[in-house]
Amino acid sequence: MFRVVLYGQWKWSRIVVILGSVAGFALPILSVQGATSDPQRAMKAGELLSVIRSWGVLYPVLAAAIGLLIAIATWTPDHRGRHVLALSLPLPRWRYVLLRFTAGLVLLVPTMLGVLAGALLASATATLPPGLETYPVALAIRFALALAVAYAVFFAISAGTTRTAGIILGLIGTVIVVQVVASTAGIELDLTSPVQAVVMNWPGPLAIFTGRWMLIDV
Amino acid sequence: MFDQIDPRSPTPLYAQIASRVRVAVAAGALRPGDALPSVRHLASRLRVNPATVVQAYRELETEGFVELRQGAGTFVREVRAERRAGERAHQAATLVRRMIAEAGRLGVSVEELHSAIADEMGAKAS
Amino acid sequence: MSNAVEIRELHYRAGKSFAIEDLDLSVPTGSIYGFLGPNGSGKTTTIRLILGLLRPRSGTIRVLGEPMPLRAPAVLGRVGFVPEQPHLDPTLTVCETLRFREAFYPTWDGDWAGRLLQTFDLDPHHPFGKLSKGQKGKVMMLLALAQRPDLLVLDEPTDGLDPVVRRDMLAALIDYVSQHGATVFISSHLVHELERMCDWIGVMDNGRLVSELPMERFKNGIKRLLVSAAPAETESAPFSVLARDRNGAATETWLVRGWEPGMSTWFDARDASLQSVIDLDLEDGFVELLRTFRTPHGKEVR
Repeated sequence: MFRVVLYGQWKWSRIVVILGSVAGFALPILSVQGATSDPQRAMKAGELLSVIRSWGVLYPVLAAAIGLLIAIATWTPDHRGRHVLALSLPLPRWRYVLLRFTAGLVLLVPTMLGVLAGALLASATATLPPGLETYPVALAIRFALALAVAYAVFFAISAGTTRTAGIILGLIGTVIVVQVVASTAGIELDLTSPVQAVVMNWPGPLAIFTGRWMLIDV
Repeated sequence: MFDQIDPRSPTPLYAQIASRVRVAVAAGALRPGDALPSVRHLASRLRVNPATVVQAYRELETEGFVELRQGAGTFVREVRAERRAGERAHQAATLVRRMIAEAGRLGVSVEELHSAIADEMGAKAS
Repeated sequence: MSNAVEIRELHYRAGKSFAIEDLDLSVPTGSIYGFLGPNGSGKTTTIRLILGLLRPRSGTIRVLGEPMPLRAPAVLGRVGFVPEQPHLDPTLTVCETLRFREAFYPTWDGDWAGRLLQTFDLDPHHPFGKLSKGQKGKVMMLLALAQRPDLLVLDEPTDGLDPVVRRDMLAALIDYVSQHGATVFISSHLVHELERMCDWIGVMDNGRLVSELPMERFKNGIKRLLVSAAPAETESAPFSVLARDRNGAATETWLVRGWEPGMSTWFDARDASLQSVIDLDLEDGFVELLRTFRTPHGKEVR
């Protein structure tokens, strides 16, 4: 069953997957343009960091866009018929939703790999001023998570029932609110420690999008 | 042979089908040993309930016009000449009855009907 | 199991305006059940309830012996559904569409699907979205039949399609029913189509099942009488007179219910003459039934 669902979704979102992979690959490489020229014209650390930072804004944008488009493509075939035909299939609703969700996740992988490949290549070819390090893997993982979160959120919204969307968004919102309240009250509350172990410190899953996306940093 | 089945007629569909077969046998269009279309094939072609065709064939079997052979199909039986003539007479009587009723509805008298028949027959003969 | 579909005391409400009240409906196993009713009477809603797509407020629904919507995922494997609108994935080709559905139904018959493709004259590599309306309808019928279901539920499957396509689709349906002995529940506006093949008729009006009878009894329930020198009063008649119209000077046409052959003596006793008794076809019978049901004195015909 999974194979046919995946195939159907692939047919719908072929273009998005390809464009996403290309864009993901290109982004890190373009961001280190300034640093790949010859050592005589090497940038100063501060200059390079600000270039990296401005390109870094595009990562969450790409994650949100690809997540949105893949999520929409997941449900579009069923949406037109108001899900009547999908609901008349002989399997529980949750299983069908899981099939579609997983198929969409699989289709996100090429874009994630694109970012990883681009980041690794960019890191390898960049000449860095002293004191700076590259973090390609951390960046790629952060992007992957952001992409997955964006996809999950838009998937829920476009699944058709506002009730489900409300529940999911409510949960995410609650996590964020709790974290923010806890940090302002000075309470040590860590709801997202596994993720924090991999990337830098920030509160809540949606905040993955905020902050600075730095391929190269101190 | 079966193409003018009319669900709107007061005669039930199975009776119409059976009647067609009887007429065909009486006229010699269906010979002894000929196979009738299978239930599946006829029902599908006429877009009627298969049970209707089964009912028609069963009635014909009861009357002795056909025999149902298990696994092989439905076949026309040998029917005596008098039987066939009797069937034709029955069909003729039905036709005439219908014509007289229709004439009544149209306000045509029996005499007018008679002369019309004579005219038509005369025209046909010449 | 005597009934393929059994609905008892069903209540359903959607918003303030539309409701299905106290619905009792039975589809005998192996029958071809025609479901008639004007637009908005609740036919599609009833079908959705049968398929477990909607949950009733109260009452029971059993499909192939199993309660719905509780056992929907298990039962739907044996139910072939042809919806009103053929909204499948438009990017998939006909062949890919078949393969998609095949993955969900263990009883799928690939050989027969292939033969139906040929019978319906469908190009397997044509994208579904680019098919004509008639071809889409054929694909929907094909998908439902290739599943080899025990129950077929069809919601206006031939609506808006040309006669040739309708003929092909229904011929394939009857062909399957002859082989498999499946039960068919079909709702349609095209009363004449249903008249040929249904052995049961259910009529829905305004959220209620107005009548549910074997076809013959339904059609024989109401008749037209051609009467000359018609008597003025009708109260003493043993049948109920639904309507009377003049046809020129001498005769009248009466629409009656509850007619039995011996009742012509009533006319003889009043120096009137009964010229003929005409059966109504299904469409007229359906129209008249609704008309009488909707008047203040109308009763249910059971």
